[in-house]
Amino acid sequence: MGNERKQIKSLCRMCDDHCGINVYVDEQGQVVNIDGSNHYWNRGRLCVKGRAGVDFVNHPDRILKPLKKIDGKFVEIELEQALDEIAKKMSEITEKHGARANSIWKGEAVGFAQEEELARRFIHAIGSPNYFSNDSQCFVGRWIGYSLVAGSWMAQPDFENSRCIVLWGANPPSAHPNMTQYIMNAKEKGAKIIAIDSRLSNIARQADIFAQIRPGTDGALALGIIKILIEEKIYNQHFVEHYTTGFDKLKDYVQKFSKEFVCQETGISEDILNDIVKAIHFGKSQVVNYVGNGLEHHENGINNIRAVACIDALIASFDQKGGNFMPEGFGPSELTLYHEKPLTELEPIGADKFPVLYEYRKECHTMTAMDTIITEKPYALKSMIIIGANPVLTNPNTNKVIEALSKLELLVVRELFMTETAELADYILPAASYLERSELHYHGMHQVATLTNRIQTIEGVQDEYMFLHDLAHRLGAGEYFPWENEDRLNEWLVEPSGVTIETLKAHPEGYQYKPLQYKKWEAKEARGEKPFNTRTGKVELFSQYLEDMGYDGLPVYHSPDFIANPDSEYPYTMITGARKMIYYHSRNKNFKRFLTAVPRAELELHPYDAKNLGIADGDLVRVTSQIGSVEVHAVIKHEREIMPGIIQFTHGWKEANVNLITHDDKFDPIDGFPLMKAVKVKIEKI
Amino acid sequence: MKYITIDLDKCVSCSNCEYACAFAQTEDFARKDSNIRVNYYPETVTSITMTCMHCTDAWCMEVCPANAISKDEATGAVVIDQDQCAGCKMCIMVCPFGNIHFNPTKLVSQKCDLCGGDPNCVKFCISGALQFEEAEELFDSKRTKLDGKLNQLILEGKIKIKGGE
Ligand code: SF4
Ligand code: SF4
Ligand code: SF4
Repeated sequence: MGNERKQIKSLCRMCDDHCGINVYVDEQGQVVNIDGSNHYWNRGRLCVKGRAGVDFVNHPDRILKPLKKIDGKFVEIELEQALDEIAKKMSEITEKHGARANSIWKGEAVGFAQEEELARRFIHAIGSPNYFSNDSQCFVGRWIGYSLVAGSWMAQPDFENSRCIVLWGANPPSAHPNMTQYIMNAKEKGAKIIAIDSRLSNIARQADIFAQIRPGTDGALALGIIKILIEEKIYNQHFVEHYTTGFDKLKDYVQKFSKEFVCQETGISEDILNDIVKAIHFGKSQVVNYVGNGLEHHENGINNIRAVACIDALIASFDQKGGNFMPEGFGPSELTLYHEKPLTELEPIGADKFPVLYEYRKECHTMTAMDTIITEKPYALKSMIIIGANPVLTNPNTNKVIEALSKLELLVVRELFMTETAELADYILPAASYLERSELHYHGMHQVATLTNRIQTIEGVQDEYMFLHDLAHRLGAGEYFPWENEDRLNEWLVEPSGVTIETLKAHPEGYQYKPLQYKKWEAKEARGEKPFNTRTGKVELFSQYLEDMGYDGLPVYHSPDFIANPDSEYPYTMITGARKMIYYHSRNKNFKRFLTAVPRAELELHPYDAKNLGIADGDLVRVTSQIGSVEVHAVIKHEREIMPGIIQFTHGWKEANVNLITHDDKFDPIDGFPLMKAVKVKIEKI
Repeated sequence: MKYITIDLDKCVSCSNCEYACAFAQTEDFARKDSNIRVNYYPETVTSITMTCMHCTDAWCMEVCPANAISKDEATGAVVIDQDQCAGCKMCIMVCPFGNIHFNPTKLVSQKCDLCGGDPNCVKFCISGALQFEEAEELFDSKRTKLDGKLNQLILEGKIKIKGGE
């Protein structure tokens, strides 16, 4: 190509999967191409948005200068001035309302898990417990559900060695693209693939069994499966006796989940139910139950997830080769301050309403935050730093989000591009992209650690560490940010692990920090330790902890509202949140080529419903819930692809923002996740 | 010689290959510009991905009146020289698989050229359905696949093998 290109290895962060990438840089230092490296995780392959990281870093619309809103208009200012003014305002707020009136919010746009921990560290360092993130409506539901049962969640199970993979409301080709390789390799080796979904998703196209299920009824299916496993003695008696608690209670409870009830409730046929049980039986302990975001966003989400985890318990697939492998950590220094400075006496927002969410994840509740800002109850929340998040599009009940964020005395948004949330800010600061920082990341499936490479630096664009460092020093919390820059921080982070930065640098495609060991519960028991990281040390089919808090101790099933209380005014049930591979939630909509691929939001519906409503493919329709209306273009699916009565509305589009009609006040009582996947709506042709 | 192979039991019709190819041709993500195409048939839930097979005796090469189609010595790809292509569409008509299409902007025929030996579609295929394999080693992956299938049938008790246990 004439021009010499340098190849530098790092990790992609166009989504949270962190595939290994080769970044090609020309003589001028410009990023010109990206392809897949032979990292443990992705083995040379990438999805196309990984390639389009080139657009992301070079985009002409990137925010490269701090902006301050003066008389409703953004004006460029110097970084030092911005930091000084922000610090001054935060100090004033602290003086008037206490430090807890300040808060921080971590989004998905800029960094890795390290960025999350830095945000948590910062806010505690300045004396406030109010750390928020998108996690109070994504990911954490699965994490908590599984942790309640087994002490941890397996976000990356051992697909490849599995003999039966059950995907519950998960569509890896869109959400975790490179997981597809593992699942298909298992299939090639003879594993059964089961897709449980209301939509015939990409992965369902290659499944041996596709169980088309009504939204929110997965718990009924899981409990029905458990009933059969117990009755037919297809479970691991030794494991159940030695390593679980609550078996008898669960056994009694599942009696109600007859095949008739389960089939009627879920919409699945008895044949399919029997086939699923047969496939699980065939898998023995080499079964992966992988739960996706489809089970969150329901009023009974956590218990549905717990019910699935109970299947794993009965067949002893936890921490098995080919099962739900439980990785060991890298063991870095502790960056958060929950031991040093827990600040629970300052009432983290939402911790009283959703104590399980706070206890398990130290996550404040974003939906409650909006109410708190508006009502100042239980106390005033006056400032927020939002890093790479766009809650105006991604949180439920958009109008309330806008009202709340507009009411803040200080809203600082760190972003790469102008967003609907950034428009509400008092200050917008340019954020560094993933190619402009160096962070540690871990892939649990292979127990590998990777240090990402800072490939370019842009004058005046700080990484998260430097921003929080500079602000903390201005706010008198500099002692918590003693490292000169992120490289020094990284050196401190790896110290207790015994792995050096040099070793990580020498392994840019992942360094396996510990060999994989299976069934660690056996070894732990032999050493006299708790076999599982739960309160009792056992796998908890029944949770005394939950019962003591006033919740159901068993993974009790409650029918979703649209089944229990059908409403003739809102006869359709709306799912939202099914991802398009090319986008990452609300992001990438400003890239021209992405819009060529997928130009707008879609409302997927069944041909039968379309006919009844007089809707043709591509028609503009109005969807209305109890809180509002949105207009969107209809896409009529094949009759196999979606269930009649169920619609799916793509999220993350400002032109047709589904969150104008989702609820922020209907939620799962345990983790506070909002109801977004079974919203009662009506549809009209415009 | 290496060939792109397609495993229809793995393709999830995600279109990554089409986007990657379109990007390689035009720097945009218009599926119509792609030299590889993914057809999904919901009635039968089948995904069929197709691209040029780089036939040994390529009909397109034989029929081209402008002598614009040749075999690349290094990669074995059947390639169209776009400067030489007259845009007569003879190759499109003669390809039995429909793997050549017309580029309405450049007014020439367009087809897969194996990306000069480093196929983008394969690098962006997230299921592993697409592989770039040596023809001589193809039997190996085929055997592995068959072994997997046989093993499953034996495990499920659908076939029995005499001898052994
Ligand atoms: S799946 Fe795609 S976007 Fe996500 S990290 Fe991998 S290449 Fe990047
Ligand atoms: S090898 Fe290149 S030109 Fe051929 S189909 Fe694949 S991406 Fe397109
Ligand atoms: S990228 Fe692979 S899995 Fe996706 S459509 Fe193409 S061949 Fe199929």
